[in-house]
Amino acid sequence: MIQALPEAMNLILTLEGLLVLTLGTMLGIILGALPGIGSTVAVAMILPFTLTMPQAPAILLLLAIYAGSVYGGSISAILINTPGTPQSAATCLDGFPMAQRGDAGKALGWSTIASVTGGLTSAVVLIFAAPQLAALALNFGPIETFALILLGLTCIVSVSEGTLVKGLMAGCLGIFLSTVGGDPITGEARFTFGQFQLIAGFNLLAVVIGVFALSEVLTRAAAVRDQSHSLVAFNGIVLPKLHEWKGRIKGLIKSVAIGNGIGVLPGTGAATAAFISYAEARRSSPNRDNFGKGEPDGLIASESANNAVTGGALVPTMALGIPGDAITAVMLATLTLHGVTPGVRLMTENPVLMAAIFSGFFVINIMLLPLGMLVSRMAAPILRIKEAYMLVMICLLCTVGVFFVRGNPFDLLVMALAGIIGFILRRQGYPMAPLVIGMVLGPTLEISLRQGLIITDGSFTAFFIGHPIASTLVIAALAMLLLPAIRAVRQRRSAQRESH
Amino acid sequence: MSRFISEQRVLSVIFLVLTAGLVVSTFGLQFADLGGAFSPMFFPRIILTILLLLAVLNTVIDFTTQTNNKPIELMPVVLISGYLIVYVLIIMPLGYFLSSLLVGSFILLTLGLRNPLQIVGIPFLVAGGLVILFNHTLKMPLPTSPFVWWL
Repeated sequence: MIQALPEAMNLILTLEGLLVLTLGTMLGIILGALPGIGSTVAVAMILPFTLTMPQAPAILLLLAIYAGSVYGGSISAILINTPGTPQSAATCLDGFPMAQRGDAGKALGWSTIASVTGGLTSAVVLIFAAPQLAALALNFGPIETFALILLGLTCIVSVSEGTLVKGLMAGCLGIFLSTVGGDPITGEARFTFGQFQLIAGFNLLAVVIGVFALSEVLTRAAAVRDQSHSLVAFNGIVLPKLHEWKGRIKGLIKSVAIGNGIGVLPGTGAATAAFISYAEARRSSPNRDNFGKGEPDGLIASESANNAVTGGALVPTMALGIPGDAITAVMLATLTLHGVTPGVRLMTENPVLMAAIFSGFFVINIMLLPLGMLVSRMAAPILRIKEAYMLVMICLLCTVGVFFVRGNPFDLLVMALAGIIGFILRRQGYPMAPLVIGMVLGPTLEISLRQGLIITDGSFTAFFIGHPIASTLVIAALAMLLLPAIRAVRQRRSAQRESH
Repeated sequence: MSRFISEQRVLSVIFLVLTAGLVVSTFGLQFADLGGAFSPMFFPRIILTILLLLAVLNTVIDFTTQTNNKPIELMPVVLISGYLIVYVLIIMPLGYFLSSLLVGSFILLTLGLRNPLQIVGIPFLVAGGLVILFNHTLKMPLPTSPFVWWL
């Protein structure tokens, strides 16, 4: 892949390439700053508009929106005490108090530097770790692929915290939805119930936009609305001076390491990383007594960790085709819709594209510094926008986006129904990320299982005898499935012991 | 009785019944007699059986635990859901601009806006902007109106 780097840089360092990265990052920051949109909805909303673009610029645009939106979440967290994205929830704890005492610019300065540092290190992790992981998995056959996808599906467990059964149900529902339409081996139509539109199956994008964006519109419509937010005084970002970093570098390095480590683990996500990093900083910082009152160490901890997750989370997504959370599931869907099959052969079959994505991700994180300073001033007044306007805009944009994929009105109906069903399911505690993960991984799971069984004459035991990698992966998958249950039993026992 | 019936329990029963129906349907469908992993129903049957088991477990959990959902404003949700369905049905016959203008205005009205200028103006600007961008700039036409070609 290193050999492909010059060609990849030629793709990025063109007027079109730089424009895509700049506009994508700016749009990401603005969408991330708007409370309620978040990284997942932002990427899902813009995804359809990229379908007419060539592969590399389209994927880079969405990556820029992803990275920009994670940073953008901190703007509303600091200025209006409402995290634009869940990842920025920990940023509110010290960012808003700092803004309230008149240091909003300084607070955004700390968060910008911390975000850029976190993002850049995660880009380095992505560049070096993804090819290694992919090389390890290069010799996978259908049996190993099946075991790998099975392991990937267990990340549903971690994105369904507290609602494990419902999360698994949503995952199975997603896999089932992926089976509707033509059979991948015989071509016969399944579960179409006489509807010819279903022969091509459910449009993944229509379902993704429905369950994330439209169900969010309905969720927001169901809540009692606060029409506008009051802004604290803000006259632009003030970067921290060099001497102000004294005693904080160690904390920054620790938070970046936590973010990268957690990012690579499937299913943990940036919000978890930000809170773990914040808790660790609160434990070890010399200024721990000021936490919650506007302490820069708290801001550095949460913002560097949540941005450090971005690249790390893309490692298993790119290298193995396993999404770690909702946003990487949407990114995986993005790659699939652009004709790129993430996984073990991606690095060898598309080295230029991969090099362009990785180096582009690095450039995006460098651009976050100047663009963050520029866009945060523009984004601040946008935070006053009425929520109702935003909801109408989301509905109209989503419709355009889904219509463009195939120009099929049936997809619009699927989107609307997915939005309504998604709202009902979310309200009852069914997480939506597993549904998308199931829909994305379902086809590979099916084809690898059936091919494996055809090769082994239908013997399930032959799946594991003579296939040590597959056996190890299945054991790991079982462990991932059982661990939360074991942990819950242990916690219950220790609680019972304490009560006695 | 009303304490026994909750949204969560009703939904878990609906989920269970639908899944059971789908499992049953996998046995009634006619395919070329290939059998085993060649059968188109092989994989869906496995997934639906797992889903059915999970649905049973979920129903048991929902009927043995009591959870209180946060109260919501139901009317806006019902109305906006209705508008969305109507929107996707009228978008082809009426065109993108007119249907978006109508539905956008109704959504704003339902969300509590009362200023007629805002109610019509916001969807007009958003839908109009998108039509100009896609139909006239990018030349990637959205569904057009039957009345005037440029909308």
